[in-house]
Amino acid sequence: MLLQAVINGLLFGAVYSTIGIGFSLVWGVMNIINVAHGSFIMIGAYLSFTLYAAYGVDPFLSIPIVMAVLFGVAYVIQKFVLNRVVRGSVFITLTFTFGLQILIANVCLLIWSADYRSIKLPYSSAGIQIGQVVLPAVRLGIFAVALVLTGLFYLFIRRTKTGVAINATALNFEGAKTVGIDVFNIYAITFGVSAALAGAAGALIAPIMSINPFLGGPLVGKAFVIAILGGLGSTIGALVGGMVLGLVETVGTLFIPSSYQELLGFSVLVLVLVFRPQGLLGKRFYE
Amino acid sequence: MSDIILSGTGVTRTFGALKAVWEVDFEVRKGEILGVIGPNGAGKTTLLSMINGTLALTRGEIRFKDQVISGLRPFRIAELGVSRTFQIVKPFPGMTLLENVAIGALFGKDKIRDAREAQDKTRSILETVNLSGRENVAVENLNISERKRLELARALAMDPELLLLDEVMAGLNTTEIDWIMGLIRRLNEKEGRTILVIEHVMKAIMGISHRIMVLHHGRKIAEGSPDEISRDESVISAYLGERYAKRRGGDA
Amino acid sequence: MKAKWIVLAVLFVLFVAAPFLLTGFWVRLITFTFMFAVLASALNIIAGFTGYAAFGNMVFFGLGAYTTAVLMNKVGLPFPVALAASAGIAVVMSILLGLLLLRLKGHYFALGTLGAAEAMKYIVENMTSVTNGGRGITVPSMRGSPFMHNTIFYFIMFGLLILIIVVVWQLSRNRLGYAFKAIRANEEAAGVLGIDQTRYKITAWALSALFTGITGAVYAYWFSYIDPPTVFDVMWVVKMFVIILIGGAGTVFGPVIGAFILETISELVWSRFINLHLGILGLIIMLVVLFMPRGIISVVTQGKGLRDLLQGRRRPSSPAAGPPSSSNGGQS
Repeated sequence: MLLQAVINGLLFGAVYSTIGIGFSLVWGVMNIINVAHGSFIMIGAYLSFTLYAAYGVDPFLSIPIVMAVLFGVAYVIQKFVLNRVVRGSVFITLTFTFGLQILIANVCLLIWSADYRSIKLPYSSAGIQIGQVVLPAVRLGIFAVALVLTGLFYLFIRRTKTGVAINATALNFEGAKTVGIDVFNIYAITFGVSAALAGAAGALIAPIMSINPFLGGPLVGKAFVIAILGGLGSTIGALVGGMVLGLVETVGTLFIPSSYQELLGFSVLVLVLVFRPQGLLGKRFYE
Repeated sequence: MSDIILSGTGVTRTFGALKAVWEVDFEVRKGEILGVIGPNGAGKTTLLSMINGTLALTRGEIRFKDQVISGLRPFRIAELGVSRTFQIVKPFPGMTLLENVAIGALFGKDKIRDAREAQDKTRSILETVNLSGRENVAVENLNISERKRLELARALAMDPELLLLDEVMAGLNTTEIDWIMGLIRRLNEKEGRTILVIEHVMKAIMGISHRIMVLHHGRKIAEGSPDEISRDESVISAYLGERYAKRRGGDA
Repeated sequence: MKAKWIVLAVLFVLFVAAPFLLTGFWVRLITFTFMFAVLASALNIIAGFTGYAAFGNMVFFGLGAYTTAVLMNKVGLPFPVALAASAGIAVVMSILLGLLLLRLKGHYFALGTLGAAEAMKYIVENMTSVTNGGRGITVPSMRGSPFMHNTIFYFIMFGLLILIIVVVWQLSRNRLGYAFKAIRANEEAAGVLGIDQTRYKITAWALSALFTGITGAVYAYWFSYIDPPTVFDVMWVVKMFVIILIGGAGTVFGPVIGAFILETISELVWSRFINLHLGILGLIIMLVVLFMPRGIISVVTQGKGLRDLLQGRRRPSSPAAGPPSSSNGGQS
């Protein structure tokens, strides 16, 4: 029982990591808490659903498409709209992304209606059994893909020129400008990457959760927890944070009545904020 | 004995392995102007920040009028009668000159309760620093000289017994420097305020200080009258290098 | 100066006469707008004046609402007593939360308060024996005709609005307000000038919580039914922020004007585009942030504003946009 819960937690934790990385990236680099991150996830989920329902495209295969679309949309939003408020106060940016979130939720509502949608895959009942533990194929696939995405992102941010530029801009905006980095373009790319990851996460959860336009909110809450736990600006931190969250959720249900779970979650969050704002692994980087 | 208004014993501040201020003992007599000089990075501003509470001491103790102030929060120390200016001026954006300075009057040592009364007091201070006509100007629109005087005015509005000035003359031209020197003297002689001045403009600080303390690499290396200091070998060495000091020592 | 007083007097008379001239629908709508104006003004005290963006401020609204609801429903206390209790509890909670959270800055504070609000929502939901949990709780409603009901609550909200306007007006020119503004402008320098930041931040939040809690209590009595998702909904605060942005942060009448503008637009949109209601609200929020971060008031206020604008002279910048954020969060 416990082992199964742990496995489930880890498997799903990888998706949380994917969600957390994008969110943490935008926060760490641009100091924007993107409340609309959840809606990006939902867009990803809905796109994946539509591709499956209309063209039979397997959700896993839809990921590259979803990522590309979301990157494009987010890039445009950042480049022409968000960049104008990105250097503003928390008042401004937070309110703005709230507005963006409800706008997107409404758009999703119009296109896909409020009915719960889900994807039923033909191989959804396949799986491996090791002793007492069941490892469904779909979840294994999700786990694997999420890890791959995390790994790719890590390489991107550390090894590519763009990734390094993003880091530089995060650490020293003025300095980055001085050495010739087109910082606002970098911001746009950052936002795009973040949204792409969110979209991918959406495509990943579509096969296992029913989706509706308003799931974005709670997901952002989780993204926030992951970012705080793992520390801003840390890919490994987001990875660990996601896993921890996944574990806490599945293992937690075994011991704590579900109604108190959320409360526990928020209390832990507030405590971490107050006493260790750099998270479990992060450095007090972006201050 | 009783006319020591500020004293520090073994004052030390480290940042990790960096010894910003190390084992400094000092005394400031009531009514004097003490100048603090030293090459860049000597720890002068760090010391000042420890006196007014902005930075905590790693070790040691600071007393104001025989009361231990090291460890108190800045606002408490301010209430006791210590005020300071910042090297990089920190005006309150979004407010006028008058409002900026009035805050000092409202929350400084005298804790004036009535806003109008505070504004009146502020006006007389603005006269002292020669900013009377500019009271309703937004602080963003002041030039550097005016901003420096704003810093000073704000500190004065608190009616301090001890005034800490951190490079208040940086960025000013010769006329302005002469004027501020005169103002500092007036504050000291006419209003009886004790003043601790950090400065790089040598002629200014040598000209107004009664005594001078020299810091180098966080330690106090010399102390005495301006005259004594200008001839002190270790001081010259700190600023200009050993060889020059040896040469100079021979000429003096 | 004179013109301003005349305008205010005229408005006052109009508002007092309104319930007797307009239909119930309009009276309730205006009452609702008054409520938003009060809530936004209360938020303005901690956010606009003092610079702490309390995104969780509805925790006090919910607490006030529930305190009154529970005391009137389960204990049978009369409204005035329940109201006083709501006010007291809101203030006490603000002090407790303040001691815990006001050391945080920027985003961390904003989200810390949000977390606290969510936690409070769950606590309320789970205290089912006391609060009826997720099913919501009813409040014994005021007896009388619909007209009386509408009119009385209209004047209660109007009274609250006038009260808070007076308070904020005082803050804009008294010693306490100066402390708030100084903290917002530069908290470190404020300390060096003798301002006990902790004490004043808590005072600001307590003042904000007081009015927010009272409004919550009145809301519970007015609507006769509340449930946790409604009274602890973060959208209240988002709307309040938008109102503050529209009207101008740190000003006295900004939130009031903003409330009327937003509610007018909301009404127009709601009646015609129900499906798009949310979307348009979202769009409005984004547009206001993009194009009016300083609010309408910074253009119109104090008579001189427009003249200065035309002469190209820079005025003290309205605190709405704030300095390009250097407050990245974390502890001081």
